[in-house]
Amino acid sequence: MPHYIAVYLDDSRYEKIKGTPLEEKITYLFGGQLKSLVVEVPEDKSEKILKAFEKARIDSRGYIEDVPVAFRRALFEEIAKAKSLDVIDKVLERLDELVEAGKKEDEYIPPPEIE
Amino acid sequence: MPLIKMPPPHGGKLVERVVKKRDIAEKMIAGCPTYELKPTTLPDGTPIRHVYREIMSVCYGFFSPVEGSMVQNELERVLNERRLLSEWIFPYPILFDISEEDYKALDVKEGDRLVLMLKGQPFATLDIEEVYKIDPEDVATRTFGTPEKNPEVVREPFNEKHPGYMIYKMHNPVILAGKYTIVNEPKFKEPFDRFWFPPSKCREVIKNEKKWRTVIAHQTRNVPHVGHEMLMKCAAYTGDIEPCHGILVNAIIGAKRRGDYPDEAILEGHEAVNKYGYIKPERHMVTFTLWDMRYGNPIESLLHGVIRQNMGCTHHMFGRDHAAVGEYYDMYATQILWSKGIPSFGFEAPPNEVDYGLKIIPQNMAEFWYCPICQEIAYSESCGHTDAKQKFSGSFLRGMVAEGIMPPRVVMRPEVYKQIVKWWKVYNYPFVNRKYLDIKNKELEIDLPAMEVPKA
Repeated sequence: MPHYIAVYLDDSRYEKIKGTPLEEKITYLFGGQLKSLVVEVPEDKSEKILKAFEKARIDSRGYIEDVPVAFRRALFEEIAKAKSLDVIDKVLERLDELVEAGKKEDEYIPPPEIE
Repeated sequence: MPLIKMPPPHGGKLVERVVKKRDIAEKMIAGCPTYELKPTTLPDGTPIRHVYREIMSVCYGFFSPVEGSMVQNELERVLNERRLLSEWIFPYPILFDISEEDYKALDVKEGDRLVLMLKGQPFATLDIEEVYKIDPEDVATRTFGTPEKNPEVVREPFNEKHPGYMIYKMHNPVILAGKYTIVNEPKFKEPFDRFWFPPSKCREVIKNEKKWRTVIAHQTRNVPHVGHEMLMKCAAYTGDIEPCHGILVNAIIGAKRRGDYPDEAILEGHEAVNKYGYIKPERHMVTFTLWDMRYGNPIESLLHGVIRQNMGCTHHMFGRDHAAVGEYYDMYATQILWSKGIPSFGFEAPPNEVDYGLKIIPQNMAEFWYCPICQEIAYSESCGHTDAKQKFSGSFLRGMVAEGIMPPRVVMRPEVYKQIVKWWKVYNYPFVNRKYLDIKNKELEIDLPAMEVPKA
């Protein structure tokens, strides 16, 4: 059974995929207030992700959660680059680098600039 | 239907063991041996409990009628039947544990008074009634239950991944039992100070300031999302001839598991709910209890019932997976306890229907989700569009928060999210991590006024 990862789109991310075929794949949640792209992850690959990141888990919706921010950002970068959701292999190629980045996130995650 | 009124404290009388007069306190501690309180830690040094929080909760009456560290017979009674020697129900062992080395060095015995020091100052006394030894692993296992002995609700054996199990497993083996008395009243730091309503004060505020006749308690260890807000609003429709007058949020403040939110963000996040009118402050009040959460689902819910009854609440809302972590318990374990009892834990009937039980009225609630068809936050037992539901998953929200994406208003109120960011900037991290636990363990929520231990 496949699992899923949701990539949330704020305004700046949305700008990067606007006008591409990805726009049609946007899922609107919570009355249209939240945009996301849902990436399907085959079971063998979700196992790799769960193994690589200690805190990662599958939630009650079948979504992979609690992965490092670096992983999520990389996933969006690859999506924006390929203009496709079929990028999980590309992200897994960067797994070692993302595991290292994830370890640093136990200590520090930069806060957003909001008032 | 008779109108519901504020219930009496559990055990009939609020425990208040705080000496406010300095001269009396000094006489009490003069010439007594002293012992600096130490945190309970994991083998890697991570702090997971500070007994000072239990001493505070005992002495200010949150755990009434418990007055101190339990004697051995009482510990056994609690583990076997969840009852104190006085017959009143109580869920957890409350113990003052020290190492063999410290016990040897202290050279204290039954009848002695020990001065418990905190941050280098006298804090409380322990009048030693009994000294005995425990097997911490046995206490840990019996506290939470096993699939074999408690098949109604325990699904998996407890292990090193369960924070509450580890708190008891890492207890020291020597127990000094006896009553605690606070002799040097701590001062809470900001923002904790404005949320500190010990039971006697809380009862007074409910009666005289808020003028609430009925109050429903909301347990929290979370920054509230809109699902929590809806739980509070809808659960409060219970009451008697009218909905509950008040909603009392009581946050559990203490060491938590990594990935939970910092305590300060939890308190100020809930405060934002009333400050910005999502539930107006005339109906909503935020408070806390010091306790290093054990994540004991039905067992923890009993403690919550005790605490909130002592604080003056008439009702208590219980959701699915109440105070739970992992899948050790059935997700409805708390609701099973409060709807029909759990015989293997000593409850042939719900805790509010047994002798010497609680008077607080449970309100078991199911789930809230966003329904795109109803176009509103829907209650799972009302909404017929289950396939279309969009759930408020805590981990989904944590993922969004960590990425720095402001959740939509329908998921988390922007003013609540800003409290997360406020404390994120202070601790450089949005969630509890090792560094946060170390800082909290060092600084605690309080400071103590300077005080000498006079010579005898």
